Amino acid sequence: MATVTYDNATRIYPGSTRPSVDSLNLEVADGEFLVLVGPSGCGKSTSLRMLAGLEDVNSGRILIGDRDVTDIQPKDRDIAMVFQNYALYPHMSVADNMGFALKIAGKPKTEIRQRVEEAAKILDLEQYLDRKPKALSGGQRQRVAMGRAIVRQPQVFLMDEPLSNLDAKLRVQTRTQIASLQRRLGVTTVYVTHDQTEALTMGDRIAVLKDGLLQQVGTPREMYDTPANIFVAGFIGSPAMNIGEFHVENGAAKLGPASIPLSRETIAGLSDADNGKINLGFRPESLDVSTEGTEGAFPVEVNLVEELGSDAFVYGQLAGGDEVAQNISSGAGQAQVIVRVDPRRVPDKGSRLWVKIRPGEQHHFAAASGLRLPS
Amino acid sequence: MSASAVQTAPTAARPVRPDGPRRRRNLAFERVNPMVYVVAWLLVGLCIAPVAYIVLGGLRTNSQITADPSGLPTTWEFGNYVEVLTSSLFWQQFGNSLVIGLATTLGVVVLGVMASFVLARYEFSGRAAMYSLFAAGLMFPMTVAITPLYIMIRGLGLMNSVPGIVLPQIAFALPTTIIILVPFLRAIPKELEEAAAIDGASRLGFFIRMVVPLSVPGVVTVGILAFVASWNSYMLPLFVLNDESSYTLPLGVQSFASQYSVDTARVLAFTSLSMIPALIFFSLFEKRIVGGLTGAVKG
Repeated sequence: MATVTYDNATRIYPGSTRPSVDSLNLEVADGEFLVLVGPSGCGKSTSLRMLAGLEDVNSGRILIGDRDVTDIQPKDRDIAMVFQNYALYPHMSVADNMGFALKIAGKPKTEIRQRVEEAAKILDLEQYLDRKPKALSGGQRQRVAMGRAIVRQPQVFLMDEPLSNLDAKLRVQTRTQIASLQRRLGVTTVYVTHDQTEALTMGDRIAVLKDGLLQQVGTPREMYDTPANIFVAGFIGSPAMNIGEFHVENGAAKLGPASIPLSRETIAGLSDADNGKINLGFRPESLDVSTEGTEGAFPVEVNLVEELGSDAFVYGQLAGGDEVAQNISSGAGQAQVIVRVDPRRVPDKGSRLWVKIRPGEQHHFAAASGLRLPS
Repeated sequence: MSASAVQTAPTAARPVRPDGPRRRRNLAFERVNPMVYVVAWLLVGLCIAPVAYIVLGGLRTNSQITADPSGLPTTWEFGNYVEVLTSSLFWQQFGNSLVIGLATTLGVVVLGVMASFVLARYEFSGRAAMYSLFAAGLMFPMTVAITPLYIMIRGLGLMNSVPGIVLPQIAFALPTTIIILVPFLRAIPKELEEAAAIDGASRLGFFIRMVVPLSVPGVVTVGILAFVASWNSYMLPLFVLNDESSYTLPLGVQSFASQYSVDTARVLAFTSLSMIPALIFFSLFEKRIVGGLTGAVKG
């Protein structure tokens, strides 16, 4: 068990001027499950591979525990990695796959057998130990890959999108299995995914990356409640937050006919560069259906209603002025807003729905920098 | 493979009958044009006839052959084969061919896998040039190089010896080997190498524990190709070997034929016995040869 520390770690691929990972500073506590999440090309996999020793670190350091592993070979870092395509050795049986690292390390056969069997028991793989990987289903292969990591009893688990080759149902199932297994073993884990739901459900803490830069680190609750900037606000949460740029007039943001009052601290946070504008964000689930004339209520033209049984989502446009309608974006795209409504009382298509942001559930970001403003 | 080609046969142009296009297509599949069989059997006949003539000719007497050169044996005459099989010279030459074939195969496989591994999975400057150099080797048949090769072998003092045959044969078999094996080894997923690296295998360890077992289908292919090429090789032994007891079978056939030119039946028996091992070898492994050419490693 150990901590993991990225100290200004930077990776620039040969032939590229822009760093793929730019001075990453991150600390993972002992036994913690940290999820690296971001859109593709954000540097999350590169960060993980730097920790594994599969990518060079161009500047900065990486520490596992107190040990500087920046220039240490992968095999000497005491880590285990689960790959997206599992990378099982095709010519070896499941048992040999799982025991390979121990065999290389020269452990006695009886010990290898015992540790492999223990891991197989945890993962429910006992009856498959003599099979070759190609005779296994996708889910079983995934478990073998996990088993290969567990058998080594490493200081750190590294997982690179281990669930993306599974079908949706199995992914949800395996997600909870991995998370509970990690809690049980208590091994520090760095997990890479592009799926924010996976990140929210599995991680003790989440680190969001974009273009090689760390955007925010925090618990799932912090990421959801207080996103540090527009990118994180739009990335975390499903469906994504509605975010729009609005004029500030008389201490309130103008959403067409409605005025959303802003606090004194928020106004004070605005600078000249913002040009009298503010980015206002509100989640689909932070909206209450209201009536015309209510203070702060604004109208939405209903384009489509998506019913999921437990929830219903209204996809629509902000009514009242083209400029206002165009400047907002959501999980459904530009000029669209999403509203969660009571699934038992859904509005008709084409109707006009008045909604109001629940107090304290709006997010403010500076128009120029995109950073969060105090509320 | 042929099935996928057939599936693309146009069905849209045909009128769709009430019972549906599916049935129509099945009929089209079942009824193969008889001309296909005619052409196929014609080609098979062309390939097999000379071999059959030689094998069956060995089972006849000389008088039968003189009377009716292309007939079937009237009385089955096994004496020719027995005589050849009991002669020590045949076995001596058979042994020479075998030793040379196996040594060539071993050399080609070992050197080929090692060179291909480096060319396929190491990044170094001049890699592409080196690969092209090996590929260029395909353009030079041994015929072109035989005179300098002869001088070189003589200079090395390898005349009339097994290494004198084996070394050039390995060199000339390497281009094919490398061209087959490099894509094969390149297809091994990179993650496999990384997983092995994290599990503690060095690069050499990865080669021995992963690449070698995974490349077996490809190695079998190049091994068989090298062995059969060596077994049938004529020109190099002709130049290098000059003693009947060190001859390989193709040379043996030649010298036997000139020695017993009147005894046609015996020559035919000797010839068929010398070519049958390579033939059997090839037919036995035919599936694996194709497998090695098409098969990539699945992760």
